[in-house]
Amino acid sequence: MTLQDRRRRLVVVQAGLSQPSSTRLLAQRLASGTEDALLERGTEAEVVFVDLRELAHDLANALLTGFATGGLRNALDSVAGADALIAVTPVFQASYSGLFKTFFDVLDEGSLRGTPTLLAATAGTARHSLVLEHAMRPMFAYLKATTVGTAVFAASEDWGTGGTVGSGLSDRIAVAAAELADLVAARPSKAASVNELGVELADPVPFEQLLGR
Amino acid sequence: MQFGIFTVGDVTTDPTTGTTVSEHERIKNTVELARQAEQVGLDVFATGEHHNPPFVPSSPTTTLGFIAAQTDRLLLSTSTTLITTNDPVKIAEDYATLQHLADGRVDLMMGRGNTGPVYPWFGKDIRDGIPLAIENYALLRRLWTEDVVTWQGKYRTPLQSFTATPRPLDGVPPFVWHGSIRSPEIAEQAAYYGDGFFHNNIFWPMSHTKQMVALYRRRFEHYGHGKADQAIVGLGGQVFMRANSQAAVREFRPYFDNAPVYGHGPSLEEFSRETPLTVGSPQQVVERYAAMADSVGDYQRQLFLIDHAGLPHRTVMEQVELLGTEVVPELRKIAAARKPAHVPDAPTHAARVAAAGRRQATVHGTDEATGLTAEKVSR
Repeated sequence: MTLQDRRRRLVVVQAGLSQPSSTRLLAQRLASGTEDALLERGTEAEVVFVDLRELAHDLANALLTGFATGGLRNALDSVAGADALIAVTPVFQASYSGLFKTFFDVLDEGSLRGTPTLLAATAGTARHSLVLEHAMRPMFAYLKATTVGTAVFAASEDWGTGGTVGSGLSDRIAVAAAELADLVAARPSKAASVNELGVELADPVPFEQLLGR
Repeated sequence: MQFGIFTVGDVTTDPTTGTTVSEHERIKNTVELARQAEQVGLDVFATGEHHNPPFVPSSPTTTLGFIAAQTDRLLLSTSTTLITTNDPVKIAEDYATLQHLADGRVDLMMGRGNTGPVYPWFGKDIRDGIPLAIENYALLRRLWTEDVVTWQGKYRTPLQSFTATPRPLDGVPPFVWHGSIRSPEIAEQAAYYGDGFFHNNIFWPMSHTKQMVALYRRRFEHYGHGKADQAIVGLGGQVFMRANSQAAVREFRPYFDNAPVYGHGPSLEEFSRETPLTVGSPQQVVERYAAMADSVGDYQRQLFLIDHAGLPHRTVMEQVELLGTEVVPELRKIAAARKPAHVPDAPTHAARVAAAGRRQATVHGTDEATGLTAEKVSR
């Protein structure tokens, strides 16, 4: 089996607002960490970034109209077709940001079922770190994603003191990336089974069955 | 091909003047709108059904019966009749009566409604939406096609030897469309019975409409009612017109920006690109709607929404006139030119009576689609 056959699609959804953004930076570190960890397992990754800042208008429109347009449609399809997801949000008012939540609010039902998912968050202080466990993980549990045990939190101080390889943040990134890579490498790539635009809808439940219920 | 208008019946404050019509005015205006539709040569007038403010049409057959008395040719329909929360017995009776009064100028569009609390208000559970639509409609068909019905189901009191009166005009019940935006089960239901499928795409991208219509057509053929391209399809539409397209955009924008459904969201330009909303000259409307068949195939009915979001009655009357004089005649020509001979026209009572062999209302032992009989207690 060649490396090409074993390709996996890794989608990174990040809700950083500023540019540059520490949330985007953490997302990139997690993505490249996962890429490396997958390569060690003989698997090549194709990485797609979904920067929610660019989709803010489309997200508000989708809430009001009920349908997703433009870049948002592509982003939702990417997530539904992902072999692995990395989700990163800044902490706002003791939880994930509203923009981050909105994206998952408009995600089609069942999109994340069984998708290996790595959770991460950023904030000014480490006192917010349990947001990963009391806000993010329950939501992804509801969405039936398979979250990896290690979630990564980066406070402002981590970017200075803990940046060297083998300690602090880098360590946590490597551990989480390895956990995600283990899950992804162990399962087959999602076939291109996503219901993309222009593709025919599958047959519904036959009517005799609906009548007999 | 049939063309017409459909109303939601909202009472919305005109955002440009701050004025709000009374319920009385709105109801009377709606009747005048229907009369105008007939006068300018449109084929269909359809009213929604709602049971909460700010909507007035809670009693569609009352309004449609009143319109029937003042028109001669206009086909009266619904958009939609709530098959979930209405008693199918009452639907059978009301619309059979309307059929007699209107000399057959009646059909219906079944829908599940989009207001959650309507279910509990009528003693139902919204989670049963699809099963209610399926059971109630199966009963409605029997009430219309069998003179004596003995029935038992899950959602309604059983019936022993029940006859819904009056019997349908000429023994042929009104044609039924099933309206759904997102539910494949409803496209399946329409296909199973060989009924019409109406996709109200006014708030949806064509890519989605295309998928739903394609599903219905495929299943229509599967159930043996004809080829996929012979299935009976209707679409919604939304337009605002002025001779000068910039003038149309300028006048409509405040109504768009404050509209109850999509207001304060996407821009008029974004929404026009993604949905069938067309704001511009009659010629632009002709071009946009002539191309709909490229996506869904040759279809039988096109309804336009033109009277919502607080638009003044006079403006709405002008829109109907523009539709009748400048848009629909062109669309008719284009549709007739492209429609192959084997694709059926939109159903009418006369055509359905002719097809049925002009029978009198009698006991029809078996519903030809479900195989259910009068004698057999359902489930």
